Amino acid sequence: MVKIKYLLIGVLIVILGILAAVIFFPNKEKRVKKQFNLLSEWVSRSPDENTFTLLQKMKNIGNLFDEHCELKAPSQSLSGSYTREEISAYAGSARSYFSQLDLKFYDLHVVFPEKEVAKVTLTGRLTGKSTAGEQVDETRELECVLRKIENKWLFGEIEIVEVLKK
Amino acid sequence: MAVNNKIRQFFFPSLTLKFLIRVSLVALFAYLFFGYLCIPFTIQGTSMDPTYHHGGVNFCWRPSYFFSEPKRFDVVTVRFAGIKVMLLKRVVAQEGEQVEFRDGQLFVDGKEIEEPYVRYPCTWNLPPRRVEKDCVYVVGDNRSMPIENHHFGQASKNRIVGVPLW
Repeated sequence: MVKIKYLLIGVLIVILGILAAVIFFPNKEKRVKKQFNLLSEWVSRSPDENTFTLLQKMKNIGNLFDEHCELKAPSQSLSGSYTREEISAYAGSARSYFSQLDLKFYDLHVVFPEKEVAKVTLTGRLTGKSTAGEQVDETRELECVLRKIENKWLFGEIEIVEVLKK
Repeated sequence: MAVNNKIRQFFFPSLTLKFLIRVSLVALFAYLFFGYLCIPFTIQGTSMDPTYHHGGVNFCWRPSYFFSEPKRFDVVTVRFAGIKVMLLKRVVAQEGEQVEFRDGQLFVDGKEIEEPYVRYPCTWNLPPRRVEKDCVYVVGDNRSMPIENHHFGQASKNRIVGVPLW
């Protein structure tokens, strides 16, 4: 009876150890996915967002990107290379057009083609309401390349995949 | 008394091995069936009005295209990076065919196509274009909005997931 008790305690400790390892030492795929969760959190906007939160989020968004981030879009006007500061500024400007904004990512497939490089294919969905009261609902397939720089996974390339070609 | 026991047994079954196996098999079957073969989805947006309304619930039946190809007038679901978010559209032209819109009227290979499912007035104009190999041309039934605001075009056949059950 005593032996079973010790055995159960042992099993419990092992399970707790595994859980702690998973939570506190996530693998690199989870670290990459976490960047998308942060981007989603910081791009999203609630109607009662105050100025301090807005500025903080703008700064945070920039910190998720590499010094230079390449954007490839079917519309040539958007394509190009952007600096971290430009991305922060554009994000802030774009967010100001919306009273409510929600960015969500689905179906993330992460591969590591090279060491310290992650390629992620995913679906991004942006929903919200403009300050003029117009509903927005845009869904796009994205291909993102993230690079590990100073122990942080940063967005280096974002490509909008053309699912339906007019 | 026996009836009471049966009811009690139904709601609070004994955790026998047989019962656990049965529950596991049902759960596994449901996971595979509703996760990969008959995927439940809700319709968001009005691009398929009046055939499918915003807020409607349906199932995407995947086996439809296991042994056949999408045909003209089929309503299909088109995937993005995965199957969590999909587009619901109608196939209007197949590979090799030339598709165009003239004053809202669909023409395939120069022939006017009758579309009884299009109920709202449409004024679209789209120059002729040929559908590439292994692709189909999909459009929504609601063409009352300006052409730039409607998500339609050529989709690769491997993006076609299935058909709505009803």
